[in-house]
Amino acid sequence: MTIAHLSRRTLLQAGAALAASTALPTFAHAQAATAGGRLIVAADSEPKNLNPAIVASNGVFFIASKVVEPLAEASFSGKDGLSPRLATSWEGSADGKSVTFKLREGVKWHDGKPFTSADVVFSALKIWKPLQNLGRLVFANLEDVETPDDTTAIFKFSKPTPLQLIRNALPVVSSVVPKHVYEGSDISANPANVKLIGTGPFKFTEYKPGEYYRLTKNADYWNKGEPKLDEVIFRVLPDRAGAGAALEAEEIQLAAFSAVPLTDLSRISKVPGIKVISKGYEALTYQLVIEINHRRKELADVKVRQAIAHAIDKKFVVDTIFLGYAAASTGPVPKNAPEFYDATVPTYAFDVAKANALLDEAGYKKGADGKRFSLKLRPAPYFNETKQFGDYLRQALSAVGIDAQLVNADAAAHQKAVYTDHDFDLAIGPPVFRGDPAISTTILVQSGIPDGVPFSNQGGYANKELDDVIAKAAVTVDTTARTDLYKQFQKLVAADLPLINVAEWGFISVARDNVLNVSNNPRWAVSNWSDTVLKS
Amino acid sequence: MRWLRNLAGTPEGAIGLGILLLLALIALFAPILSPGDPLRIAGQPLLAPFADPSFPLGTDRLGRDVLAGILHGTRTSLAVGIAAALAAIAIGLCIGLTAGLAGGLVDEALMRVVDAFQIVPSFLLALAFVSVIGASVPVVVVAIALGAWADPARLTRAQVLSIRERDYVASARVIGMHPAEIAFRQILPNALPPVLALSAIIVAAAILTEAALSFLGLGDPNVVTWGSMIAEGRNILRSSPSLSIFPGIALVITVIGVYLFSEGLNKVLAGRRSDA
Amino acid sequence: MLLIVIILTFLLLESASGDAVDAYLLSIGGGDAIVAKSLRQSYGLDQSMLARLWLYFTSLAKLDLGWSVAFGRPVLDLILERLPNTLLLMGSATALSFGLGSALGIVAGTKPESIRDRTLSAVSLILYAIPSFWLGLVLSIVFAVQLRWLPTSGIETIASGKVGLARTADIVLHLVLPVGTLALIYMALFIRVMRAGMAEAWQLDFVLFARSKGLSRTRIVLRHVARNALLPLVTMLGLQSAAMIGGSVVIESIFAIPGFGRLAQEAVSGRDAPLLMGIIVVSAVLVICVNLIVDLVYTALDPRVGASENRA
Repeated sequence: MTIAHLSRRTLLQAGAALAASTALPTFAHAQAATAGGRLIVAADSEPKNLNPAIVASNGVFFIASKVVEPLAEASFSGKDGLSPRLATSWEGSADGKSVTFKLREGVKWHDGKPFTSADVVFSALKIWKPLQNLGRLVFANLEDVETPDDTTAIFKFSKPTPLQLIRNALPVVSSVVPKHVYEGSDISANPANVKLIGTGPFKFTEYKPGEYYRLTKNADYWNKGEPKLDEVIFRVLPDRAGAGAALEAEEIQLAAFSAVPLTDLSRISKVPGIKVISKGYEALTYQLVIEINHRRKELADVKVRQAIAHAIDKKFVVDTIFLGYAAASTGPVPKNAPEFYDATVPTYAFDVAKANALLDEAGYKKGADGKRFSLKLRPAPYFNETKQFGDYLRQALSAVGIDAQLVNADAAAHQKAVYTDHDFDLAIGPPVFRGDPAISTTILVQSGIPDGVPFSNQGGYANKELDDVIAKAAVTVDTTARTDLYKQFQKLVAADLPLINVAEWGFISVARDNVLNVSNNPRWAVSNWSDTVLKS
Repeated sequence: MRWLRNLAGTPEGAIGLGILLLLALIALFAPILSPGDPLRIAGQPLLAPFADPSFPLGTDRLGRDVLAGILHGTRTSLAVGIAAALAAIAIGLCIGLTAGLAGGLVDEALMRVVDAFQIVPSFLLALAFVSVIGASVPVVVVAIALGAWADPARLTRAQVLSIRERDYVASARVIGMHPAEIAFRQILPNALPPVLALSAIIVAAAILTEAALSFLGLGDPNVVTWGSMIAEGRNILRSSPSLSIFPGIALVITVIGVYLFSEGLNKVLAGRRSDA
Repeated sequence: MLLIVIILTFLLLESASGDAVDAYLLSIGGGDAIVAKSLRQSYGLDQSMLARLWLYFTSLAKLDLGWSVAFGRPVLDLILERLPNTLLLMGSATALSFGLGSALGIVAGTKPESIRDRTLSAVSLILYAIPSFWLGLVLSIVFAVQLRWLPTSGIETIASGKVGLARTADIVLHLVLPVGTLALIYMALFIRVMRAGMAEAWQLDFVLFARSKGLSRTRIVLRHVARNALLPLVTMLGLQSAAMIGGSVVIESIFAIPGFGRLAQEAVSGRDAPLLMGIIVVSAVLVICVNLIVDLVYTALDPRVGASENRA
C-alpha cells in the first residue's frame, strides 16, 4: 500500500501529504468486495517469478495454479490418479518414444485468444525442457512435439521414456503458457511472469507488494459453472503466529502449508468455526533427511552411518517435533506413494546400545571425555521442524559419543555451504517426493551430479550398483518392471545409507467451517480451487 | 574503594549493584546450580511451570528444562553484553584518543568514519553483519560493537580536546615526556570517567540487541540465550506463554540492574567531579 | 561520509557466502549451474568487485539505486513504496512518545523525589528494559486476539475499497498496536531525559529569579523550565533517529507492516546487495535530515545557542 503513488517526481508532494494525515489523497481503487464470494488465504512468501512453467515450486503453484493450468491435475479418484485439465487423454506408444495428448477444445486464454496445440509445443520446447528446474530432468530426452491439428500434441523422445514417469509428473511440470505472449521475447524477463495470463478459473488481477495478490473469477472458464468463488486474495503474512491469529479474528478463511504452527493446532481445532485438515497433501510429501558428506573418513564407513541411524528415536521425532502430524520413514520412498512403496527394506530401530557397539566395532572408541569424534551439523533453516530436529539430533548423537556442532545460517548461506562448497559433515534437508522417484528423489543418491545443484547428492556418494538401477529405471517403459527396479532402489538405499530418511510429513490446512470442498485432491493447496465454495 | 561505598549509599546504586552481583553469581555458578548441558532433552515436553519440582519452570517443546535455560542464558547475555561493550569502548577510546591528539587531517578523516557509523542504524548493521558472516558468539559480539563504538569515540575525543590544554599536560610536555606516555598516563585516566558512565548504557543496549538478534534467528545455536528462548516460545505463545515470559522477565531484570548501576555510578562520579 | 558507508556495506556483502543468484535459485527450489551462470551474467554479478562498485557509484549519481535481484524491480521503486509506511509508523510513535513523555516528565520533574516522581521513574525504567518484540507480541495477543478490539496485522483491510475518511480510520486502527508498542518503548527515554532536564533547569539563575519574583508555579514550569528542559529532549530525538529506524525491523515483522525495516531483512536474506545498499544510503540520508530538522528546532527553542556550537 502506498499513501500516494510515488515516483521520484512526486516524492516531495508525498512528504507534504504525509504530514497532514487527514488529507490523504485517494486513488481509484477496486469496487467493494462482492458478498459471499471472496476467499482470503494466508501467503507466507512473495515469489519473484510467478510463472509455474519456469519455476515448478510449491511457493509458486500456491498462487499461480489458479491462473495457469497443467495438462492434468492429481486426483484421488481419477484414472491413473489424474484428472484431465488442458489434456483430455494421454497415450504412450509401445516403444516408449512418443506420448500422444488429446487437448481440450473450446478453451480460451484470459486475453480472449484461443488455446491450441501450438501453445503446448511452445511451452514444452521453449520453457519446460530448457528452463524449468524439474522439466530439465523429466523432459531431458524430449526431441520434438508434433501437432497434426489444433487439439493434438505428440511428444517425441530420443530414448524410451516411461509413460508412468510422464504421467506422475504432469501436474508439476506441464503448466501451459500462451505462445502469443511469450514468443519472441526474453522469456525469463517477460512481464507475464508476474502478471500471469493463463486458462485457469481465476484471472490475475492485482499484486500489491508486501500486502496481497488478488485473483478474480474467469467468467469464460471452460468448465461451466466454475469457479464458484468470485475472488481469491492471498494475504501476505510472513509471520507464522500471525496466520493463526488472523484466522481466529476472521480476517482470513484459510491457512495452508502449515502456516498455523503445529503447536497451535490442538488449541485452534477447538475454536468453534474452525477446522483442521491434514488431507490434501499426499502428493506433496516432504521428507526429513540427514544428508551425509561421505568425504569424511568416519562417515564413509557404513557401520558409522548405521550407528547414527540406530541413535535416532523416530517415534520421538514424530511425536514431539511433528506433534504426530508425520510418519516415520523407512526409506527414500514415502508410505503414501503406494505405487512404489516397498516396506520390506532393512530398518534401524532406536537402539543406543547397538549404535555404541557399531561405533566401537568401526574403531572409534570413546575418549576420556566420552567423545569419539566431532561433526559439523547444518540444519536447513527453511522449516521450524528441520531446525528443531537439528537440536534433537545433536542430543541423540551426543548420547552415542558423537559431538555435533550446530551451524546456524540463513537460507542462502546454507544452500551454498552444503550444495556448492560441501562445507558440512551432516546436513538436515527437506527434499520433496513428487509422486515418482525419478522426478526429485533419485537425484539425491545418484553420483556424478555437478556442484551447485540444490537437493541433490552433494555428499560425494558413489555406488555403481545404485547408479545402474537408477539409469535402467529411467528408460524402462514397462510399468511393472519399472516399479520393481524402484523397489530394488529402496532396498539398496536402506542398506547402504547414502542418506538417512527419518520422517515424512505432509502439511496441514486450517480453514473456517464455511469453506467447502477443501482438500479434495492430493495436491489441493496447489491445485486450481475451481470447485471451492464459500458457504454464507 | 570509597566510590564503591558511595555507590552502595545511593538507592539506585544499591539495587543495581545487588542485581548485578546476583546475576554474576548465577553466571559463575550456573554449571553447579544446574549441571549438564542446558540444551539437552531432559524431560517430557511442555510441562507446565510450578507443577513438577524437578522442573520448577517447566519444559519447552523438545523437553528442555526452562530453569536451566534461564540460568545458563545468564552467562551468554552477560558475556555478550560486557564483551561487546568492552570492545566498543576499547575501539572508541583508541580512535577518540588518536583523533583528539593527532588533530588536523587524521582527526577529520577519523571523524568522518565515526559519522558514517553513527548515521547507519546500528541494528541494521548488526543484522547485516551476522547474516553475512554467520551466527556465533564472537561474531555477535563484533556486530554489536561495530554499532556501538561511535559514541565513545566521539566522547573520548571531546574529552581529549579539553584535557590536552590543561596545565598538567603542558608541564608534562615541558619536562620532555614522550607523547605516547603523556597520552596513556596523563590524558587517558582523566578522559575515562564520562566514557565509563556511558559504558553501562552500552552494556544494556548490547544485551537487548543480542536478544533481538537471537529472536530473529541470528543467534549462536550451540548456546542457550534468552532471546532464542523467547523466539522458541513465540510459536506456542497462546498455549504456553510462560516459555516466553520467563526469559523476558530475566531480560528486563538484567537491563534494569545495569541501568540502575549506571545511574548510581553517575551520581557518584558527578559528586566526585564536583569535589575535585 | 556517505561514501564510506557505501563502501563498507559493499565490502560486507562481498564477504557473504552466497550471492543474490544463489538466494533466488533457493527460493525457486532448484536450478543448476548453467541457469545460475546466465542469471549472473544478466545481472552483471560476474564482473570484478571494483567494476561493480564503480558501476554503482556512477548510477547513484543519476539517482538510480540499481536493480534488485531478489524482487526483480528497481531498488528506488521498492524503497519509495515501503518508506511511507515506516515513516508513518515511526513518525506517529515518535510524536506520541514525545508528547506523552515530555508531559509525564514534566509531571515527574516538578516535584522531584515525590511519590509521583518515583513511580514514573520506576515505570519508565521498566519500559526501557522491555524488549520491543516481546511487548509487541504480548500486546497483540491481549488486544487483537483475546479482546478482538484491534486487527492483528497489516496496515489496512485488504482491497476494502474504502476511501477518504473511512480509509484513514481503517489505517489508524491497524496502526494502534505497532505504534503503541514503539511509543511505549521510546517514551521511557523521553520521560527520563525530560525529568532530568527539569531538575537541572529548576536550579538555573533565571528560574531562581522568576521564583523570587513570585511568579505562579505553573507559569514558571511551563514557560521557563520546561522550555529549557526540552532542549536535551530534542537533541535526544536526533540521536535516537538512527536507532528507531533499526528498531522498526522487528515490529514490522511481528505486525506484518510492509515497511522499510522489513525490506532490510528481506534484502539481507536475499543477499541483495543493491537493495541493502540502497536501504542503508536512504536511512543515512533520513538520519541526516532528521538531525538537520532537530538543529533548526533547537535554534528556534533557544536563540542564545548558535546552531554550529553543539554539533560535533
